[in-house]
Amino acid sequence: MNELSELRVASEVSDLAREDAQGVTAPRSSLPSNRLGQLLMLPGQIVSLLVLVVPLVVAFYMSFTDWTPTHGSLLEATLVGLDNYKELLIYDTRFVEAVVRTLLISAVCLALEFVFGLSLAVLFLREFRGKAILFSAFLTPMMILPVVVGYTFWMLFQSNGPINQLLMLAFGSGAGLQWFRSAPLAVSAVIITEVWHWTPLFFLILLSGLNAIPENPVRAAVILGATPRQVFWRIVLPMLKPVIIVAFVIRAMEIVKLFDEVFMLTRGGPGTSTETISLYIYKLAFADFQLAYGAAAAFLVLLGTLVLIHLLLAPIRNQLLEARR
Amino acid sequence: MTGRKLTWPLAFVLFGALIVSLFPVFWIVMTAIKPPTDWNASPAIWIPSHPTLINFKTLFDPDSIRAYGVGGVSQAATNSVFGSLLASVVGTALSVAIGLFAAIGISRYANGGKATPLIILSGRMFPPAAIAVPFVIIYSNVGLIDTYRGLIAIYVAGTLPFSTWMLKSFVDDLPREIEEAAMIDGRSRLMAHVFVTIPLIRGGLLATTLFVFILNWSEFMFALVLSYSNVTTIPVQLARYVTATAGTLYGVQAALAVLAMIPLVLAGLLIQSHLARGMTFGAVKR
Repeated sequence: MNELSELRVASEVSDLAREDAQGVTAPRSSLPSNRLGQLLMLPGQIVSLLVLVVPLVVAFYMSFTDWTPTHGSLLEATLVGLDNYKELLIYDTRFVEAVVRTLLISAVCLALEFVFGLSLAVLFLREFRGKAILFSAFLTPMMILPVVVGYTFWMLFQSNGPINQLLMLAFGSGAGLQWFRSAPLAVSAVIITEVWHWTPLFFLILLSGLNAIPENPVRAAVILGATPRQVFWRIVLPMLKPVIIVAFVIRAMEIVKLFDEVFMLTRGGPGTSTETISLYIYKLAFADFQLAYGAAAAFLVLLGTLVLIHLLLAPIRNQLLEARR
Repeated sequence: MTGRKLTWPLAFVLFGALIVSLFPVFWIVMTAIKPPTDWNASPAIWIPSHPTLINFKTLFDPDSIRAYGVGGVSQAATNSVFGSLLASVVGTALSVAIGLFAAIGISRYANGGKATPLIILSGRMFPPAAIAVPFVIIYSNVGLIDTYRGLIAIYVAGTLPFSTWMLKSFVDDLPREIEEAAMIDGRSRLMAHVFVTIPLIRGGLLATTLFVFILNWSEFMFALVLSYSNVTTIPVQLARYVTATAGTLYGVQAALAVLAMIPLVLAGLLIQSHLARGMTFGAVKR
């Protein structure tokens, strides 16, 4: 029953569940505050500030200049006011498109990963032989590094690759597709790759959630005559809600940064049809060397991320900090 | 909930999902053992009739592939393997050490309030591309560009949210009374942590170390933008192989990909039961 309290699923569900959860986490006395506590946290605080504050400040300053690597020192660059921001937000459709595209790809991927991950997790509630081995097998994709996943799917999607071979086998010799030559197909390839890579994470998180659901309310519902479908939709799914939220938040945090797989698969092509925010900033700064302009884009993205962090963490903040109280 | 048997249609679905989930791995491994004649055959060859290890040998001795009439592998991958090992191992050790301090601090002391853990966590959410732009500027001004020190610093910072939060969840699991008992026996707070807390979470420490190693070993973008000639890692080398040769050296590229993936899959399987905890910053514990 320990998992139950950890996942905080009990509260709104049923009296039976509440009974099970009682007395597991007794309230702790307040934590001491002293020099040792301060010293222990200091290195982590310094590192975090260096990674969070310094880039923000530098990106902020640079974004008001026209600095490029040939200019020499950053301090000698000419200040150009809000020109970079004006350009980005008003004239640079490529930037705005990259933002919208990243959000759309993220939404589609998360929805698919959730459906597949949940289905697989529900299958794993059944009894069958070789469950442990299959569990490991289904987790394998998420252990592989993104660059290798991108490269592997780039091979699979080649015009003479196995995916086209299977398509031709199923639908005749004309069914082979040029995956990287058309925008919708290239976007699909990115989504398929992402979904393959990260469905295991949803599967893993949702399965631990399902396993932590107490037997009692389910049994009670069955005795009262609930059908399996009703049990799933009315009892299991509501109790799973906190875990589902955790899964979505964690994945959303990662997928908005999408870069490695796309870099290997399409480099943003054809044209800019698969360009994500990260890929666009990368190209701006490190292929076109428009570093000041890239910094403006980076600063906007960092600000946007701060807002997103706030929104995303809100539903799980207490869940994360719970053990401290 | 549990206990019902798997029916045949469901078993079929499960089998299909298994094929989908393992096929890409099968493909990359098969490509890695294909001789050059099979690399880009049309239609593609699924299982090579003459499997070979020449692709792996070529990674460390680029000229050995010439016996097959293939030129064009200009670079050995040796440096990148060395670079990946150095950056990941040192980066992981430092990240876990700093994370361990912070984890004990957050779990056992009130200093820093609720802000510190959340500030550390938010480091994970910033897109690397956005952070990379200012970092490249800073690094080129302080001479850290294209150095392992610079890359390792990024790796420590980038994985600190995971090491802190994952370790924090293990420390949280430990009743504080155990440390208090040690303190009653005359140990100081610090010694109680050194001799009681840390030994008791050693399993969690190992799992966190492997998890952070997976993250560092997988990192691509910072290695790509912060390195020129001195510093390379395996992911960067793989990207170079793909661009430099217009992507036709399938076998050699796949061999490097397989080499990159083996330690991760092994580490991942070892810490399988802790993966959920690691990925969710301790919010889901099993």
